[in-house]
Amino acid sequence: MTTTTATVRSRPRITLAPTLAKPLAAAGGVLAVIAALLPWTTFVLFDNDEVNPSLQYFDAPFALSGYRLHTMLLGLAVLVVAFVPRIPGRARAQRALGFGIAAIGLISLIFLSYNGGGVGTVTAADGDAAFGAVVALVAGVLVVLSAIAAGITDIPDFPTRLPRLAAYGALVLAFAAILFLVAETLTAGGRSGVSNPYAGPTFLAFLGMAGGVLGALSGVGVVRWISALSERHRAFSIIILVLCALSLPLTSAGNAYWMTVATTIGVYAATAIGLNVVVGLAGLLDLGYVAFMGVGAFVAANLSGAATSKLGIELPFPVAALIAAILAGIVGAIVGSPTLRVRGDYLAIVTLAFGEIFTRSAQNDIGGLTGGSNAIPRIPDVELGGTAFNEEIQVGGLELPGGVLYYFMIVLVVGAVMAVFANLKNSRAGRAWIAIREDEDAARAMGIRTGKAKIMAFLVGATLAGLAGAIFAHKLTIASFDSFKFLESVTLLAAVILGGMGTIPGAVLGASLLFVLPEKLREFDDYRLLLFGLALILIMRFRPQGLVPDRVRRAELAGETATGKSIDEEEALVVEQEHDGPTGKKGGTA
Amino acid sequence: MTTLLQQIANGIALGATIGLIALGYTMVYGIIQLINFAHGEVFMVGAFGGLAVHRWLLPEAWQGDWYISLPLMIVGGVVVAVTIALIMERFAYRPLRNAPRLAPLITALGVSIVLQEAIRIWFPNAESAQAYPKAFIDAQVDLGPVSISASKLLIIVVSVALSVGLQLYVTKSRMGRAMRATAQDRDTARLMGVNPDRVIVLTFLIGAALAGVAGVLYGVDITNVDNAIGFQNGIFAFTAAVLGGIGSLRGAVIGAFIIGLIKTLGGQYMPGGTQYDYVWIFVVLIFVLVFRPQGLFGEAERVRA
Repeated sequence: MTTTTATVRSRPRITLAPTLAKPLAAAGGVLAVIAALLPWTTFVLFDNDEVNPSLQYFDAPFALSGYRLHTMLLGLAVLVVAFVPRIPGRARAQRALGFGIAAIGLISLIFLSYNGGGVGTVTAADGDAAFGAVVALVAGVLVVLSAIAAGITDIPDFPTRLPRLAAYGALVLAFAAILFLVAETLTAGGRSGVSNPYAGPTFLAFLGMAGGVLGALSGVGVVRWISALSERHRAFSIIILVLCALSLPLTSAGNAYWMTVATTIGVYAATAIGLNVVVGLAGLLDLGYVAFMGVGAFVAANLSGAATSKLGIELPFPVAALIAAILAGIVGAIVGSPTLRVRGDYLAIVTLAFGEIFTRSAQNDIGGLTGGSNAIPRIPDVELGGTAFNEEIQVGGLELPGGVLYYFMIVLVVGAVMAVFANLKNSRAGRAWIAIREDEDAARAMGIRTGKAKIMAFLVGATLAGLAGAIFAHKLTIASFDSFKFLESVTLLAAVILGGMGTIPGAVLGASLLFVLPEKLREFDDYRLLLFGLALILIMRFRPQGLVPDRVRRAELAGETATGKSIDEEEALVVEQEHDGPTGKKGGTA
Repeated sequence: MTTLLQQIANGIALGATIGLIALGYTMVYGIIQLINFAHGEVFMVGAFGGLAVHRWLLPEAWQGDWYISLPLMIVGGVVVAVTIALIMERFAYRPLRNAPRLAPLITALGVSIVLQEAIRIWFPNAESAQAYPKAFIDAQVDLGPVSISASKLLIIVVSVALSVGLQLYVTKSRMGRAMRATAQDRDTARLMGVNPDRVIVLTFLIGAALAGVAGVLYGVDITNVDNAIGFQNGIFAFTAAVLGGIGSLRGAVIGAFIIGLIKTLGGQYMPGGTQYDYVWIFVVLIFVLVFRPQGLFGEAERVRA
């Protein structure tokens, strides 16, 4: 029996001698640095190229910027991680960095050779040589191989019992870093919606870099440590997170365009958290969820004095939003009532049917309340003290971009929703939902009133969605059935699953990714849905627990136990212990 | 009265199409308890497969003779539908066979989106609806007070014949017995020497073939197709399968005729007209699921979902 059984992954696909790890990492790191310094393309790709009229962006050796700078930094990081002694979780970090380098290389390789008309663009043509992308790809692969050679180990745990001030400091730093990353991600490849020919690949390469760095941080245990810290100091974390989000307009992403995008993301994030109550906590699959958002939007539109509204009522926004949320909640309870008799995928179909009935009715202008295909246009702006929310504002010497007030509003709403959700999850109701999700019959046997709890889940989720819908209608100034179709429900569900079911950061992260990516990748607009569908299939195949897995949920979706080890590993351990007899212990010597 | 009979005839023709799709739903669900959301898309690619055969493979001399062109189109539709379904089973569903139930359902949604988009992007001009050849006798047949197009009559005849054939195959043949055994208890079936993987593949294959036939006949009858026909008819078919009792072949076909009638009669006589015919189907679906989830012919113990 070896000492490493407990830590080595159960089914390595490629095996390499551990002695190869260091040389491979060294070679990969050095190659990445060299790749950054090499030219990446042999000629100027686009006529009238305003961004890069010469090849400077691709070959100036000592004026590194953008993706080449990232390649170099990742390469240096590989060398540091490989040769600094006693780094915990080293191989995981190496693997993530390697994937990051390879991603940058691969994305650039595909983009450059596709637009340059062949591999000549990225190898050699007309006497010019440009092997940067190829070398970066090779470097990335070498680093990944070195990680495999070293053997992937468990993510290390760090103590989370810190002095209060130290913990707060770490959290502030972490959230400030997140803010910086978000601003950089939004503006990568272009500051506004006007895209240049490099915007898409630049953005993807940036994502590759960011993914590599985050993966490395997660590999050495920093991410887990920070999230454990923020669990421990939850109230403080939420306050800091909201403050960080509120300062987004002060960063490079502070213009009207990104405020609009960020507001939309906020709306979907709030809705996704609501859906997370229904699907993530209570385990009730809802395929028509966006209808609740639609109910909220149409109610708010009709009550706020929109031009074509038949009611002719004009209520102030908070009242309209409140009524919208309550009505959406009531609809939610009605839609949820079949849960009393129907379970599992049958329930999913019932919710799908309700969603389709809503869309079809809204499309046909039911009762003159939805405007049909004309939608309800010209919903008035929200006003506060005479300032319309879409105007630019000045606070002291600060000029804030238009739409910033909507952004502030949605940040506060999402912050509040996160706080409520976090408490809900650990409350009596939350524990009842989780029990129902795990085993409904057992939950009932334990004295939980399952029917009431399930309808409650629908009610809470729908109320949140209704509120988000009201803000959505006012921000867009139009409410149309087109925004509330089946595909939106699937997208929201995908956001929850991609992020990680049952977790708050997961829902927000998932919603951000799914609603930012189309905004950033307009070149691929035609393929957007196709890629989305593929992504759904691939996530379910390779990472069904999502990006930020819930501790308990992970056990269910990924075949892992709550301790984070795969079931195979645990079984292997048990078998081995039995084999060794009573004296055999984990970590015992041969 | 004539209107009523006419709508009943239309409803039966629609039901016949839906029935062929519903058989695929009900068989797959019966065996692996998967709501194969992408099955409607298999019907859609089948229709496009037939269209492709007509457009690019058939020599012009043959296009005028329906008894040559229609069978070839059906073969084309079936081949495309079966190929897609087998790829889907192998690479999307099989790896998730032991995953929690949510996972394959979401994968099915993904497959459905991918197939719709793939047709829209890569089938020439398929961004808009495509004209479908009238590859059958273009005439109305008078049956007493009602008059029905020959192509609708063909769908009804083919659909009933194939359903009866399938019922016989499943109840009488050796492989049919293996299918029923696998549906009842996969592990025990395996112990009895049945290879469940082969049974599952065969199930997908038969379902897809029926959907392919339905796709081509639907196109010939309606004379235009787009990439959304699969989603809508797929939902109808699923409703039919649930109404009839999911897992039951007879139930799926009878459920499909009921759904067809609800749609045409609801569009004719219910408030809101054809704009709301879709809604009545969903209302029926909800009521069936809530009050009789085992459907008309389903076995109660199978409904533990």
